[in-house]
Amino acid sequence: MQEQAFRFGRARHLVGIAGLPSSAARETVGVIVLNAGLVHRIGPFRLHVEMTRRLNAQGYPTLRFDLSTIGDSAASGESQTRHQQICADVADAMKLLGEQAACQRFVLIGLCSGSQSAHMVACSDVRVAGAVFLDGYAYRTLGYHLRYYVPRLLDVKRWLGVFSRHRAQQGSGEPAFTVAPLPQAVVRADLAGMLERGLKLCLIYSGGISRYFNHARQFRECFGGLVRHPDVFTRFFKEADHTYILTGDRNRLLEQIERWLAQNFPVTAGASS
Amino acid sequence: MSARGEAELPFYFGPERALFGLFHAAGTPARKAVLLCPPLGQDQIRCHRLYRQLAQALVADGVAVLRFDYYGTGDSAGDSAEVDWERCLADAATAAAELRARSGIDQVFAFGARLGASIALASASAAQARFAGVLAWDPVLDGRAYVEQLDALQLALRIDRARFMQPRKETDVAAQWLGFAISDSLRQQIAGLHFKRPAAPTLLLESLPPDRPRAWNGFVVDAATIRSLQPPTPWDDPRRLEVAILSHPLIQAVTQHVREVA
Repeated sequence: MQEQAFRFGRARHLVGIAGLPSSAARETVGVIVLNAGLVHRIGPFRLHVEMTRRLNAQGYPTLRFDLSTIGDSAASGESQTRHQQICADVADAMKLLGEQAACQRFVLIGLCSGSQSAHMVACSDVRVAGAVFLDGYAYRTLGYHLRYYVPRLLDVKRWLGVFSRHRAQQGSGEPAFTVAPLPQAVVRADLAGMLERGLKLCLIYSGGISRYFNHARQFRECFGGLVRHPDVFTRFFKEADHTYILTGDRNRLLEQIERWLAQNFPVTAGASS
Repeated sequence: MSARGEAELPFYFGPERALFGLFHAAGTPARKAVLLCPPLGQDQIRCHRLYRQLAQALVADGVAVLRFDYYGTGDSAGDSAEVDWERCLADAATAAAELRARSGIDQVFAFGARLGASIALASASAAQARFAGVLAWDPVLDGRAYVEQLDALQLALRIDRARFMQPRKETDVAAQWLGFAISDSLRQQIAGLHFKRPAAPTLLLESLPPDRPRAWNGFVVDAATIRSLQPPTPWDDPRRLEVAILSHPLIQAVTQHVREVA
């Protein structure tokens, strides 16, 4: 299978790479990968390239592309909010992948701000059948604070300086990515709405967001009974960093996504790379 | 959308259409052509936006530009672990030929940052890419020192508390440089890099931080071929590993030089 480069979109302003398995059936979902922060479509450390190629090998049509004004994509020239732009850009991406691979339903995958974009579109677009949120919305909970502070309160050495220096260093660093959070109640209601509409959701969070998320239990602390819904899958990769800089961590993440897709959106018989 | 966006064409080219390229056509018949050779590894991601800005600045001057990814990098075919130095040189020559064909201009200049500059210098000869000139931004001229530096950064990553909740094992970080798998052969190829004299007229754009060792002395022919840029570029600052490299002075220096050369 060979990837194809496209300039597409309502103003032909978007650039993306489609991976099109030779015999993907119409029923197979298309997978669209969204920008993580300002990193162009290949993803942090080429994560999105590895991801889409592995999914192509499983028979899924994929598209990794740059949203308006990110990477190689230009502005559309329209007067729109960023929310409207993202929804319209992803709609353009679904149209392209639908034309190229005949798929009608889509799974969105996004890391950090990409997760935020995926959330935004999944709230409103009926063509979205599922979403993978990587380090998406999360909130500090009572459990988070207990897990964070109790060990530190009991650690005399930290009180003597290590902790304060570490905090000072953290404060002076330049954040590579940040997600401006929606209120917790809004996100909970959004997720509930997605589940009511039949979407399947995969939430995978990493140890790289330990500033506000530090245990698998926190999924439930943040989102309540929603996480017990049969169409919700959660996983906490404590050892990994936010952008999966180590090849072994990337591999484990990609295996997990492949497994979740295979269980929830199996490739229709006859489709292969 | 602007006509500029429409003039930027993404495509695959080369043997088995394995290489990704993005051709920036000049609005008017092009008078010159520049191939932008990307660096390798995380530097490539950090420089992506700057390369695009540089391409657009050159196009505004009537210069045709091709950006591309080597095999095993960016959107090109191949895994990161398959990146090979000799293949990079061959890919640069293939890309130069593609730029000649698309622009109709035979005289092609090359720009590169860090290892991208080293690739442009190493492939500049008549037998390979036939570059009319090279603009080399902080090129890696001493491969052994560069390998030692990347190894040290990779080792430090293992215990980076701003990144990991707990220190990682040495095996977790082995055979990688800052996010990318590397083969033993690439390590040896880069360690063996050593440049003496440039094979094409070269402008060396220098912006290393003051505390970084320079290896220009044995390489440049005269001081006029060096231009210093400010501020220094934080290539090797681990705290900025995922922060884009941007430099308006660099874009000005490159566009001015290309404008002035015959």
